[in-house]
Amino acid sequence: MTRGLIAAYHELDALVEGIEALQHRKFTKFTVYTPTPRHEIEHAIKPPTSKIRLFTLIGGLCGVTFGYWIAIWTSDYWPLVVGGKAIASWIPYTIIGFEVMVLVGALSTVYGMFILSRVPKITQTMGFDPRFTGGHYGIYVETSPERLKEAEATLRESGAVEVTNER
Amino acid sequence: MASLVQPVRPNVATANIQLPGVESYEQVDREIAGTLVPTRGWFLLLGVSILLFLWGAGTWVYQIYWGLGNAGYNPPVMWGVYIITFVFWVGIGHAGTLISAILYLFRAGFRTTIYRCAEAMTVFAVMTAGLFPIIHIGRPWKFFWLVPYPNWRLIWPNFKSPLVWDVFAISTYLTVSATFLYVGLIPDLAVLRDRATNPFKKRLLAVMSLGWRNSEPEWRHFARMYLFLAAFSTPLVLSVHSVVSFDFAMALTPGWHATIFPPYFVAGAIFSGIGMVFTIIIPIRKFFRLQHIVTINHLDAAAKLALFTSMVVGCAYLIEFWVAWYSANEFEQAYFWNRVFGQWWWAAWIMLTCNMIFPLSLFSQKLRRNPTWLFILSILINIGMWYERFVIIVPSLSHEFEPWQWSGYLPSWVDVSILAGSFGWFFMWFLLFIKNLPVIAIAEVKEIVPPRLRSHQVPTGVDVAGHHLDYSPETPGERD
Repeated sequence: MTRGLIAAYHELDALVEGIEALQHRKFTKFTVYTPTPRHEIEHAIKPPTSKIRLFTLIGGLCGVTFGYWIAIWTSDYWPLVVGGKAIASWIPYTIIGFEVMVLVGALSTVYGMFILSRVPKITQTMGFDPRFTGGHYGIYVETSPERLKEAEATLRESGAVEVTNER
Repeated sequence: MASLVQPVRPNVATANIQLPGVESYEQVDREIAGTLVPTRGWFLLLGVSILLFLWGAGTWVYQIYWGLGNAGYNPPVMWGVYIITFVFWVGIGHAGTLISAILYLFRAGFRTTIYRCAEAMTVFAVMTAGLFPIIHIGRPWKFFWLVPYPNWRLIWPNFKSPLVWDVFAISTYLTVSATFLYVGLIPDLAVLRDRATNPFKKRLLAVMSLGWRNSEPEWRHFARMYLFLAAFSTPLVLSVHSVVSFDFAMALTPGWHATIFPPYFVAGAIFSGIGMVFTIIIPIRKFFRLQHIVTINHLDAAAKLALFTSMVVGCAYLIEFWVAWYSANEFEQAYFWNRVFGQWWWAAWIMLTCNMIFPLSLFSQKLRRNPTWLFILSILINIGMWYERFVIIVPSLSHEFEPWQWSGYLPSWVDVSILAGSFGWFFMWFLLFIKNLPVIAIAEVKEIVPPRLRSHQVPTGVDVAGHHLDYSPETPGERD
C-alpha cells in the first residue's frame, strides 16, 4: 500500500530543487504540476519524448490512403468516360488525399494526446490541488508509509510552502 | 555638433515579446477571467447581432419559399453575393490559422496574446462561410449529395469537380480549426474550473476541461500535439484557399483562368483576415482594459504582416493586368479594360484603393502604432476585400466571350439581408465566445511572464527559441 503527499511551491527554483532532491533520494513515483510548461522542469525531469508522433504518422497514412482510395474506387465503380481521359486521375485526387490526411492525422494526434495524457479523467481529486492551475507549482509523491516522513522532510527542505497528506 | 543627429526611434516590434505590465500568474488569471463578466454594452451588441441574424435567417426562409429568383441573379451572372460572401468569410478565417499555427511554428512571440481571438474568429468565419454555398444552391436540403456516402442509388460524387474539393477542404478546415481551438482551451478551462464558485458552472467547466490537471506529462504530450496540429494546419490553410481559387481558375472564363489564382487568393485571404483581427482585437483590448497584455508592439508587428500581404495582393493585381496585356488574348484584355475603366470601374477602384493604397500608410511606424488608425484601416480592408471578390466574380461573368451575353448585376434586398445576417451570425457567436471563454490564452501568457524565483526576481522575456532574455525596461510600447 502506498501513501501520498502533496507539496505546493511558490517559486520555480524551489520546485526544481524539490524534484532533484526527490530523484537524489530515489523517490521514483511523483507527478509535477505547473501552471505553464517550463524548460527548467523539463531539464530536471528529463522525460522521454512524447510518442504522439506515432499517432500522427499512422493517422496521416490511413487518411491519405483512404482519401485516394475512395476517389479511385468510386471512379472505377461508376466510370465517367470522357474521350481519352483517365477514369481515375491522380492529380485532382491528390486534393482529396491531402485533405483526408490532414483530417485523420489531426484527429488521431488529438486522440493520441488523450490516450497518453490519460484525459478525459472522471475524477481528478487524488493527488491534485486547484492551486496548481493558478499560481502555484506542485509535486505529488507516492511512497511507502515507512518513507513518508523522509519524503515530507525532503519537500519541506527544498522550499515547499505547504505539504499535506493525501491518503 | 551636438544635436545634428536626430535620435532614431527603435523599431521595437519584433518576434520577441515581454509583458512588463504583468507581474504574476495570479494577475494573468485574475485579469483574463475578469473579462468574462457580462456588461450592458455586451448585451446590447449581442441583441443587435441576434436581430441581424434573425433578419437574415427570415430572408433565407423567404428565398426558399419564393425561389432563388428573388436573389439578384441576372443571367449569365448566376454567381453573386452568396459566392462573394462565401469566399470573403473563408478568407477571413485564414488569418486565424496563420496567427495560431504558422506564426507558432515560426516562434513569432507577438502571436501569443492575439491568437485565441484569431482562432475563434477562424472557426466562426468558416461556420459562416459554409452556409453560403448551401444558401446559393437554392434547394439546401439536397446539399448532402456532395458528400460521398454509401447510398441505395449507388451514386457517388464526381471527385474531379472543384465543388467536391471544396466540400473536403472546408469541412476539414472547420473540423481541424475547431479542434485546434478547443484543445488550446483545455488548460484555460481548467483554470476557470478551479476559480469557479457557482457549482453548476464548476461542473460544466470540469466536463469541458476533461479533468485537466496541469501535470508535467499532460503538458509534455500537449505541447507535442500542439506542434503537430500546427504543422498540419499550416499546409491546410494554404490548401483551403487554393481549393477555393480552383472554383474559378478551373473555368475558361476571362479573368478566372489564371495560374496565379492560388497564391493570389491565399495572400488575399490572410490580408483580409488580419483586417478582421484588427477590427476585433482593438475594441477588445480597449473595453477589456488589456492594453498591457495586447500591447502596441503586438499590433505593430501584426500591422507589418498586413502591410506585407497587402503588397503581395497588390502585386497580384498588377500581374493580372500585365498578363492580360502580354497574353495578347483579346477576351482577357477586353475584360480587364471593362473591369477597371468600363462597367465595373467603381468596384475595381474601391478594391484597389482599399487593398493597395491605404495599407501603404503602414510604412509609417507612427500609424502602425496608432490603434485608431489601425481600426479605421481594418474596416477599409474588410470593405476592400469583399469588393475584391465582387470584382473577381461579377465582372467576369457579366463580360464573357459573346457580346450578346454581356449584362449587369445588382444585388437584391434578399442578397443584402442575407449578407447582413451573416455578420449577425458571426458576431453573435463571437460575442458569446468572449464572455464565456477566455479571449486570451491564459497558459500561453503565463509562459511569457517571468516565473517567481526564491533567490531573486529576474525579469526576462522570451526569444524566438523559447529561451529567456534579459529585459530592458525602457523598451517603448510594452505598457500601452
